[in-house]
Amino acid sequence: MRCTYCSNPLGFKDVPEALDAAAWGRVFAEAAALGCVHVGLTGGEPTLRRDLPEIVAATANAGLYSLLVTAGIPLEREGLVRLRDAGLRSVQLSLQDIDPAAAQTIAGARVLEAKLAFAAWTRELDLPLVLNVVLHRHNLARVPEFIALARKLDASRLELANTQYHGWALRNRAALLPTRAQLDEAFRVVSEARKTHLHPELVFVLPDYFADRPKPCMGGWARKTIVVTPSGVVLPCHAAAEISGLSFWRIDQHTLARCWADAPGMRAFRGNSWMPEPCRSCPERTRDFGGCRCQAFALLGDPAATDPTCAKAPRHDLVLAARAAAQAGTVAGMVLRGTPPN
Amino acid sequence: MWSSEAFEQRLRQVGEERYHDKHPFNLRMHDGTLTREELQTWVRNRYYYQTRIPVKDGLILAKAHDPAFRREWVQRLLDHDGQEPGEGGLERWLDLARAVGLERAEVVGLRGVLPGVRAACDDYVEFVESNDLLASVAASLTELFAGDIMRRRLAAFEKHYPWVHTEGLRYFQNRTRQAPRDAAFGLAFVLEHARGSDDQTRCVAALERKCAILWRLLDAVQAAGRRPRFSRHAQLRIEGTADQTMVVLPERAVRLNASGREILEMCDGMRSAGAIARALGLRHPEIEQVESDVHQFLERMEQVGVLEVAP
Repeated sequence: MRCTYCSNPLGFKDVPEALDAAAWGRVFAEAAALGCVHVGLTGGEPTLRRDLPEIVAATANAGLYSLLVTAGIPLEREGLVRLRDAGLRSVQLSLQDIDPAAAQTIAGARVLEAKLAFAAWTRELDLPLVLNVVLHRHNLARVPEFIALARKLDASRLELANTQYHGWALRNRAALLPTRAQLDEAFRVVSEARKTHLHPELVFVLPDYFADRPKPCMGGWARKTIVVTPSGVVLPCHAAAEISGLSFWRIDQHTLARCWADAPGMRAFRGNSWMPEPCRSCPERTRDFGGCRCQAFALLGDPAATDPTCAKAPRHDLVLAARAAAQAGTVAGMVLRGTPPN
Repeated sequence: MWSSEAFEQRLRQVGEERYHDKHPFNLRMHDGTLTREELQTWVRNRYYYQTRIPVKDGLILAKAHDPAFRREWVQRLLDHDGQEPGEGGLERWLDLARAVGLERAEVVGLRGVLPGVRAACDDYVEFVESNDLLASVAASLTELFAGDIMRRRLAAFEKHYPWVHTEGLRYFQNRTRQAPRDAAFGLAFVLEHARGSDDQTRCVAALERKCAILWRLLDAVQAAGRRPRFSRHAQLRIEGTADQTMVVLPERAVRLNASGREILEMCDGMRSAGAIARALGLRHPEIEQVESDVHQFLERMEQVGVLEVAP
């Protein structure tokens, strides 16, 4: 899949030096000892790994609650049975759209049918299903249909996640950014649906381009979440490796605890001593932790700058300009991930 | 714009399609299959609705400029509240409460009112507060359909619930007389004062809204009979002392304090939500609104997936 809104790092590719299942087992045990309770098996596409059942078994051995984050396409039903039997606890499936043609425009492949089949297997196997739909101007009008689909698929949670303009998505920002009216309508629909149905739980967060305050990205830099890449680099978020000048450690060099606590890249933006004004004296700094470092780096080239999505940021004008420019964006302007520049 | 006959027909059609006599809970009540606990839950919760009626009628009176209208409408307040203490519809409802085995104090204190019932009833008052006289009177036209349901209810109680003393049924007996009279006045008012198709459409919408409110009330009462249990998808982690319990779920972990744990321990898939709330209400009389808090907690725990409903 080559989704136009992909916010994964652009440098994702095959990893010849990937950790084997035994090494993952050590990572999970160390993570559990540090107090982690969840583990998300993500990618890229984790189901492309042949040893995924062994990796899942290792999460269960460590007592972690596992979530497989998948596009749902490469895996057949038996594969999912093997993962369940290995101790998989839950599944998050991404959907591009409910309209097959629209889904194809976004993902560059025919995917909808396979994903719906995968969702049905998940529930047949009694695994809780989280659906994740990335929202943008071309599918926001279909929020009611996403909610109806999530009910039909018996999902326990529907994440209506507005596009993050990182990675490839930044290139397509003008074509993807919604209008305020679209967001307001979607929010209204979600609020109504919450009143009438307990399930699935609906998660809808305004895109930070419209929120006037940044999101507490990752719950704060190196504060709540540990990301370990396939080759064993320990990061505060999956995009952090894109920020130049930060150094992170690998779990074959140090314990997970040390990689997490002491690597210079982890310490760079932990807490609030790194903050510039207006963050440093802002009463909201303990709530949003200064927003997203990757966003500051992507938009300003400076990871220590105030996140421009904050209305108090010196360069909030960049976000306002992007919002204004986006009003003219069309689907024709979108470029699939991996398309070479011309 | 509809003719007067077509408009009345349209209003009656709302009742045929949406009045709560077709709600599964009412069907079961009239079939005689409700348990004593379910009947009690309904009586305690419907009492909250009864307390909102004179408030609603007071709001309607305050919107009316015509003395003839007010003279007629004030009768509803008197019917409900009586001329003297111990009289009136609200008191008759408390007779029913006693007849189904409830303590007066716990009913009047509204301790067992379900959050969903409270929200539905408050929604009705709020609707009347924020709409004009015409729409407010139109919303009251569920009375057009009430005489019939009262008769069916009386017959059902006598046949299926003989343990409910007949003294408790006077509310229904009185309403079989009052509802048609009130409805006739309300209907004539609406037919006369809806002056264009916009008004007529608003009246139909108001009546639909009211039907939805009554329906929601029963949804909430019915839901109190569900039997929650710890979800198969949740992982319970007890760390250190019992008040440091954590429940791990997809993309979420829930930390429980001692109260949360106490409630959760009662969720065995056998006891109903209503029974759990009531038991905790009896165990903790010192906490105000404990039952309502328990219901809110149960609902939240079901929403996030800590609890599931046993089949």
